[in-house]
Amino acid sequence: MDLIRPSSPLQEDTAPSQAVARTTALHGSSRRRPRAVIAVAAAAMAAGLLLSGCGGGAATPGAENAAAADPALAAGASGSINICGGKDASGIYKGTAEAFTTASGKVTAKYTEIGATTDEARTQAVQRLEGKSTECDIFLTDVIWTSEFASQGWLLDQTKLVEANMDRLIPSTVETAKYEDKYWASPFFTNAGLVYYQKDKVAKPETWQQLYAEAAKAPGNSFVYQGKQYEGLTVNFLEMLYSAGGEVLDGQGEVAIDSPETREVLDFMSQGLEDGSAERAVLTYNEDPARLAYESGNYGYQRNWPHVYRLLNATPMAGTFGVAPLPAWEGGKASGVLGGWNLAISAHSTNQAGAVAFIDFATAPDWQKHVAMDFSQAPVNEAAYSEAAVLAKMPFATELLASVKGAKPRPISPVYPQISQAIYKNVYAVLSGAASTEDAVKSMAEEIRTAKASF
Amino acid sequence: MAIKSLSPGRGVNSRGVNGRDAAERRAAIRMTAPSLVLMALVAAVPIGYALWLSLHQYSVRTAGLSRFVGLENYITALSGPHWWAAFGQTFLFAGLSVSLELVLGTAMALLLNLAFKGRALLRTVVLLPYAVVTVVSAITWETMFAPNLGLVTNVLTTLGLPGGDVVWLGEHGYAMAVIVLADVWKTTPFAALIILAGLQVISAETYEAAELDGASKWQAFAHITLPLLRPAIVLAAIFRTMDALRVFDLPFVLTRGANGTESMSMLAYTQLRENRLVGEGSALSILTFLTVMAVSVVYIRFAGGNIREVAKEEQ
Repeated sequence: MDLIRPSSPLQEDTAPSQAVARTTALHGSSRRRPRAVIAVAAAAMAAGLLLSGCGGGAATPGAENAAAADPALAAGASGSINICGGKDASGIYKGTAEAFTTASGKVTAKYTEIGATTDEARTQAVQRLEGKSTECDIFLTDVIWTSEFASQGWLLDQTKLVEANMDRLIPSTVETAKYEDKYWASPFFTNAGLVYYQKDKVAKPETWQQLYAEAAKAPGNSFVYQGKQYEGLTVNFLEMLYSAGGEVLDGQGEVAIDSPETREVLDFMSQGLEDGSAERAVLTYNEDPARLAYESGNYGYQRNWPHVYRLLNATPMAGTFGVAPLPAWEGGKASGVLGGWNLAISAHSTNQAGAVAFIDFATAPDWQKHVAMDFSQAPVNEAAYSEAAVLAKMPFATELLASVKGAKPRPISPVYPQISQAIYKNVYAVLSGAASTEDAVKSMAEEIRTAKASF
Repeated sequence: MAIKSLSPGRGVNSRGVNGRDAAERRAAIRMTAPSLVLMALVAAVPIGYALWLSLHQYSVRTAGLSRFVGLENYITALSGPHWWAAFGQTFLFAGLSVSLELVLGTAMALLLNLAFKGRALLRTVVLLPYAVVTVVSAITWETMFAPNLGLVTNVLTTLGLPGGDVVWLGEHGYAMAVIVLADVWKTTPFAALIILAGLQVISAETYEAAELDGASKWQAFAHITLPLLRPAIVLAAIFRTMDALRVFDLPFVLTRGANGTESMSMLAYTQLRENRLVGEGSALSILTFLTVMAVSVVYIRFAGGNIREVAKEEQ
């Protein structure tokens, strides 16, 4: 059984005492002094209940009284810092740590991989943060973790730091680090969906409606996206919902998904599966299968992330495909959903000055160019997108910037995982034909309300 | 348990308590104490701890905040649709896969029991699927059943057979079929091995006697092999059912629980790991644990009786 560590050390103590009670009770049945045993067991149970009572009351400071990071600290930084995160597939984490160490001369940064996958990295980060470990000074955080980590009081408040750097950061990317009017991380590199299309078969899509209509015209034109029941489906759905003007939570944080826009998008997507705009096979695709299917040459459009560009260019398809920002909704605007990774300072960091200096370096326009040039990631600094060297490496930089600037964060809430499940499970139910749009919208809204009511 | 199994032989005598007997019992307790403590540490502590967690709710908003909620987590789980859907789907999976595994396992064991050259080698080779890590085999099956590009879909299309255009992992029923197939492929050898062990203790004389009496091959199989194999088959069934009811990796990799394939363990995992709802997730783990326990008890009560009967008959 996979249990998460106890959040309070007091509760940890109660487990063995209860276990003792249980084992003594077992022994007791074959002994002749059951009364004494029952008394001991009862005492142990009572102690356990008492301890849990204490644990229940004592809450550690959360987001309201988190310590703040001071931008001025960077100047006097020294010592070493440790950056923790997932697998460094593109080499950007180690690369940035090394470049920072060289440039700084005073602070040594190293990168520690704490998980092979995003989920694993999150579990590992959560365990370290819950255990108040000082091992990591900076955590690479997925944009959707911010509110969860911040609300637990695990992160240093970076509001001053982010505000000082505001002029060099793309506004949409900063939004992903915001929770309850404060910033809890600095964006490091971002990500946004793109549409890849076969130039010989179809035209660059301006609207989703146009894309779907074109895709339905011939079997070889159809659209591949990520329709499997997982986080990626939430992203694919929200990209359309946002461009149609819909939202999940409104400005006050109330559930706003039970809307005509949600119904319109769901009907549109499921109609697309019936018309042949997309094959039912997309219901089994996440990012990689979608790319592999598209590489077979039997499709017209693909929704995927920027990293696919390099992979497609390594196939015979090189030169036959175009890259477009996500299309607009007819009568609406173009929008999207932000991905990417932020830099959060652990509340238990023993070298906050070093961490601040690292973040200053990593988000500076100079280094952001390298983020694109050396590691093919999307910079959080706008100027980087128009650098000649960046354009040479990423010819679609202009389209990517358009996608990034128009994109919005996913719903910001400490219970985001539950909200996302409510979205992707119900969207999947509609697409697979297991539920009607009306039922799915109702249960989506209901499940998000339940999630928001979590203790 | 250990104490109980020691006592039946002497249960009647020990009623008239004498000093020697009591001393002996104390010695027995002392001797079994280390293993009892060990069992408590490995089994009782984690289960007791999970039980404890399941009676609480742990805040996902404020670190360290928790509250005692009694059976609320259980009531929520049992009154909502998700637990019962997962319950039904898990039992469907277990029923289908275990029955197929037992039938195929018996057939495989009968073949492996025949005398032929290279038998020892073959016995090792058939175990290979069981040695493959489930997640890895699940990914292989996912690739094979991929629409358009997968091996299975391609072969079916090329041969003009139905199923080539089916989105196997994207449809109700078909998705479950693939998961059952993946499980049967992997664990049939395990069932076969247990059943083979049962086959080898049936003495050749029994068959010779049957042959003298004029029994046909089929009669020998139906009236000698199968009844004598029952203990082995029941054992295989218990192991496989307990495993199947805890299934996690296959649906997790193949469908993420879509199309009616979310298992009880997956549900618990989602609550515990993804949503960090420790209390709610622990309640689901305990419910899964209780379900598996209940099924094993039923097995041992009913099928276990058979084991004893057969053992008696053999004597």
